[in-house]
Amino acid sequence: MNNEFQRTMIIVGIIFVALLGTSFGVAMASGNGIGTFGIVIVAGLFNAMLLFLVAAGLSIVFGLMDVLNLAQGAYFTIGAYVAWQFHHAPMFAGIPADLRFVLGVLLATVIGAILGIILERGLLQPLYERPIFQIVLTFGVGIVIGEILKAIWGTAGKQWIEPFGLQQGLFVVFGQQFSIYRLFVIVIGFILIIAIALLLRYTRIGIIIRAGVEDSEMVEALGINVRFVFTGVFTLGCAVATFGGAVAAPFLGAGLGVGQGFLLGAIAVIVLGGLGSYEGTAIGSVLVGLAGQVVIQVTNYANSINIDPETFGGGSFLAGLLNYSTDVVGMSVWSSLTPMILLILVLLLRPSGLFGKER
Amino acid sequence: MIKQRSIGDTIRITLQSNWFYLGLLAFLILFPYLVAWFTGDPVGGVGGRPRGESVYWQSVFIEVFIFVILAMSYNLMFGFSGVISFGHALFFGIGGYTTAIILGKTGFINWMTGILQPLSDMMINSFGFADDFNMALTLSLIIASIVAIAIAGLVGLVMGLVTLRLKGVYFAIFTLALSEVALIWVRTWGFTSAEDGFSVTDLPDFINPTRFRINYYYFALICTVLVFLIIRRLMNSPTGRVLLAIRENEDRAQAIGYNTLRYKLLAIVLASMMAAVAGIIQFGFNKRVGPEMFSVRFTIQPLLMVIIGGIGTFSGPVLGATLLDLSETIFDREFVFGEFTLNVGEYWSLILGIAFIVVVLVFPQGIVGTVRTQWQKYRSSRPVDSEKAQNTG
Repeated sequence: MNNEFQRTMIIVGIIFVALLGTSFGVAMASGNGIGTFGIVIVAGLFNAMLLFLVAAGLSIVFGLMDVLNLAQGAYFTIGAYVAWQFHHAPMFAGIPADLRFVLGVLLATVIGAILGIILERGLLQPLYERPIFQIVLTFGVGIVIGEILKAIWGTAGKQWIEPFGLQQGLFVVFGQQFSIYRLFVIVIGFILIIAIALLLRYTRIGIIIRAGVEDSEMVEALGINVRFVFTGVFTLGCAVATFGGAVAAPFLGAGLGVGQGFLLGAIAVIVLGGLGSYEGTAIGSVLVGLAGQVVIQVTNYANSINIDPETFGGGSFLAGLLNYSTDVVGMSVWSSLTPMILLILVLLLRPSGLFGKER
Repeated sequence: MIKQRSIGDTIRITLQSNWFYLGLLAFLILFPYLVAWFTGDPVGGVGGRPRGESVYWQSVFIEVFIFVILAMSYNLMFGFSGVISFGHALFFGIGGYTTAIILGKTGFINWMTGILQPLSDMMINSFGFADDFNMALTLSLIIASIVAIAIAGLVGLVMGLVTLRLKGVYFAIFTLALSEVALIWVRTWGFTSAEDGFSVTDLPDFINPTRFRINYYYFALICTVLVFLIIRRLMNSPTGRVLLAIRENEDRAQAIGYNTLRYKLLAIVLASMMAAVAGIIQFGFNKRVGPEMFSVRFTIQPLLMVIIGGIGTFSGPVLGATLLDLSETIFDREFVFGEFTLNVGEYWSLILGIAFIVVVLVFPQGIVGTVRTQWQKYRSSRPVDSEKAQNTG
């Protein structure tokens, strides 16, 4: 067991080194200096934290009750819209911008928690006897939420127009400037990762959750109401996803498709990490987040140089493939495809994921 | 000892037990003529162009047939085998795109024409075939469709092989991811004109919906009936019984000694092939394909239709698809109540979504299942009647 954990950590380490090495190599080769390497790290971690916020709830909820909450992406979108609306409403224009952002995020989180309770108590609870319908239902709820958001805010996405203090401050990584807001999101993400880990490890409720993920029937046999714990975790998962959407809104804006992308990314994360495994989710988020940015960097680079099969040495097939991939399909696609391709690869090669048990 | 049935008996029993479906089929065969009779617009269109009420209703029903096939194939997976997919659009899109690419982008038709020219000439000159019978085009279409169906089946097979050994939810995740990959890919694929999609004008004349809509109507009807019959035959066979057993309790089916993986694979491959058939009909009807064929709409709609109609029944998906698609056609406009205007089309997806949630929660068996349960309750509450019915029947 311990041996296997060590082996997994070695695999994870190799993947990290490969990703960062590729990024560093491309940054050096592109001649722009080390700046793009900094972009990969900051943007990658930024995405990773957002992915984690969606994936954490998804993973624990699935571990407890085998329910995959496909509405989680919609909650992310709700968070983005609520935060955007609160920040840009003329009614609250008197509040200082920084405070308004924080209040907006808090409001979004509360709304997410309330909607989470409604979904779990009102809609999922009647379906405890029919687990597959629960997944079908969350799929439907995600669509309904999307339609309601569309009815309220229209189809066009909302851009974050009014900046606030955090966004204007700058910090420098490898000669590349970023707004402090990005650092803020990354730090908050890390704090949450650690906080949830501590919660799971050292509190009684955390022990119940971990035991429930291991074997929920056994926990129930011990006289603990797993359903009740499940409701709490489900609500927390929805709240955290909404929080993620709200926190990301200044950067991503609020749009109908925002959540879906992160939902698929988060599903990739939890499958990669191993369904129900918390450390897998945390590490998987960072892996998927970084991988997306590395792919963007590489395709950018491949696009900027015109790869000539003659000068590419013997690898004319590879050169042709690179040319084709950037000319024909458009490079932006590759980054949005990355989580899905990772997901498919994991399912093909190691379906139980990095830290998962054989199921 | 089993008494040998005479042919007459067989026909009588078939008619008796299927009167509803046969009546429906007769109605659908006559339907274009009925509309033509009521409205006075000819079946074949006005002045050689596909216009008029009859042609309009033919188009509406072709669309209905497409969704009926899609819903039936979804039901085969979800309702009969208990395998849930969130990427049915993938197979639908593969069907349409593969056929369209073979016909429109590869020069396959020219190649076929080159090979078949002498044969085609001979048939027209010696056997009295009509001049406009284009054998190369017809054969190309048939081959392209077969290839498309085979590819869809193959994709289904691979997906099943990869994920079915794991928990059921992995298949759902895998289909969701793959259909999303396909959508993103097709949206930017220069080869198929990305977001715009592309049209294929070379279709055999007799099946060309802009020339002979009525032929296309019957073609779609035949496909629908075929798919229905295949599913019913399958589910009434021992294989179908095993599928039902797997849906009810997979562990037990395995314990009895069935290789459940193989049975589920069969259901998935068949269902994906049927979805591809729907995609091919959709492509032929519009004579173009676009990325919207991979959109989540073609996953949600069949899911909805199956659940609303009645999951795990034969008539449920047919009813659900017909109802939903017809009501979308009818209600997709503005309704004016005095000063208040309601654009139902704008909120259609929302209405459907809410209906979906309500049905899942309140009528999990859908229309057909609920009606059947109520009917059985009613029957069993009147024992005298049921006894009488047994005696006479």
